[in-house]
Amino acid sequence: MLVLAMDTATPQVAVAIGDSGAVRGEVRVVGGRRHAEQLAPAIQYVCAQTGVRLDQLAAIAVGVGPGLFTGLRVGVTTAKVMAQALRIPVVTVPTLDLVAYPLRHTRRMVVAVIDARRKEVFHARYRSVPGGLQREGEYAVGPVGDLIADLEAGGEEVLLAGDGVARYRSKLADLERAEEAGPAFDMPSVGALIELATARAEREEFTTPWEVHPLYLRESDAELHWATPR
Amino acid sequence: MTRGARSDEGAEGARQRASARGAADRVAVPPEPHETEPAESTMRWFPPRSEGANVLGIETSCDETAAAVVGNGTDVLSSVVSSQVDLHARFGGVVPEIASRAHVDLIGPVVADALGEAGVELPELTAVAACHGPGLAGALLVGVSAAKALALVADLPYVGVNHLEAHCYAAWLEEPDLTPPLAVLVASGGHTLVVVMEDHGKYRVVGQTVDDAAGEAFDKVARHLGLGYPGGPLIDALARDGEPDAIAFPRAMPGEPDFSFSGLKTAVVQHIRKHPDGNVADVAASFQAAVVDQLVDKLVRAADEAGASTLVLGGGVAANSRLRARVEEVAAATGRRAFLPPRDLCTDNAAMIAAAAWWRLQADGPTPLDAGVAPSLSL
Ligand SMILES: [Zn+2]
Repeated sequence: MLVLAMDTATPQVAVAIGDSGAVRGEVRVVGGRRHAEQLAPAIQYVCAQTGVRLDQLAAIAVGVGPGLFTGLRVGVTTAKVMAQALRIPVVTVPTLDLVAYPLRHTRRMVVAVIDARRKEVFHARYRSVPGGLQREGEYAVGPVGDLIADLEAGGEEVLLAGDGVARYRSKLADLERAEEAGPAFDMPSVGALIELATARAEREEFTTPWEVHPLYLRESDAELHWATPR
Repeated sequence: MTRGARSDEGAEGARQRASARGAADRVAVPPEPHETEPAESTMRWFPPRSEGANVLGIETSCDETAAAVVGNGTDVLSSVVSSQVDLHARFGGVVPEIASRAHVDLIGPVVADALGEAGVELPELTAVAACHGPGLAGALLVGVSAAKALALVADLPYVGVNHLEAHCYAAWLEEPDLTPPLAVLVASGGHTLVVVMEDHGKYRVVGQTVDDAAGEAFDKVARHLGLGYPGGPLIDALARDGEPDAIAFPRAMPGEPDFSFSGLKTAVVQHIRKHPDGNVADVAASFQAAVVDQLVDKLVRAADEAGASTLVLGGGVAANSRLRARVEEVAAATGRRAFLPPRDLCTDNAAMIAAAAWWRLQADGPTPLDAGVAPSLSL
């Protein structure tokens, strides 16, 4: 089963081709905020180098955020329009899962943290279970201080990953029972996306292209500030 | 405060959760019985059939999600426009983030409808085009990403199109025999400029607004008159019951090529304050007359200077009935031809994108796939 995977919800543009869950080729570029410029050429390159034609794909996998709104929309639009044109389904995976999944072998609680700008972070917590990770609680957005207070109150040993960790390193350093997973775990893993999406595609946990929506978690500014009609 | 997905209730939140379900609770566990229905029922695919040099155009620069198929740069096979005006009305103007989100939701169905109505299948197209500027960055990204995705799938050339150039090409959709030079007035909520089109792909911007766009002035004055949004059609309707010369509002920058509307807007607001019980229809009619006089004056000036025998209108303000009437009058009086495309070709649409792309493709070839968007692109 050939799957094309993409995630553009962070400063990273990541594309991979997977065959039965194993990555055959992967392109990752971090920084620059050039999602719209980089994504289509990256898809073209990874297909050419793996010798995979788009019409051979069984499904398209996409990280649906939360993350940078503009980057996220480039990936989600590309994935759903390609899938629509190829007449194949989409598998959606929240981007926080793609941060946490590579750390599934730890016994500690894994906390995935993505920079949400405006002094806030997107975050979710996970615990190791046989064969993967189980998320605990909801995908959330809030000030990094609130997350720290919550984790402190929980008193559990945690492993922190994601670009929100790097961004708020000095604040998170105050947490006593927390460790940073390190730079290799700053960005969502498109390899994890291939693995997770292929398993779901095999179970036919599909989404039709038109039902793919970014996971924003935050209303637009206008709606946030909209109190009473003028 | 931490806001979880649960607390963001409402349709959007519910829909997001629904689409992420199955993907949601377990990140990876051994296979289990299906929780989600296999998807096929609601899916509408591109329909079969047709031939010809057809370009698919996509337009998402502001608050219209649009797609169209145009044959040979002039033949409109389909033109689908999904307006978001209702989503923005309560904010009194276009909210970029709301527009961008709506484009993501609407782009798939709109493209499928455009191909369906045209009876054209994706592989039968000659090129896929999208407006890449000027416009709202987040909104433009959706159309450009969609066009590139289609170009990748069908191995077609991608063409990035200038929105302002496309407004000029709207005229060709109605009148394929138009011959340059043309003097084109493009006036909308986003832009106001007069362009001399010397030949295909050859433009000279003769004048543009130094402050508000004409459509913006209509919106602001409509808000002060308590009329609502969008202001253009509301003022146009109200003005029919008023006297255009009841109040002498200023005509800005006489004798100059550029436009200005902020002084006029201020004059109208002051007048309303001074005469709270005045005749609202007279205010609307007099304001509209001042805007139209300015627009027509600059258009004719540009035509004189360029020796253009055809006057063309584009942009949402081109739907204004007084503007259309005045341009017809002036053209007749000066022995020129007025070309006034119908309203659906004046306002933002994708047929004009596909038409412009057809000429661009012949002149410059495809746009590279690593090109981005240009929110402040000029002509
Ligand atoms: Zn326009």
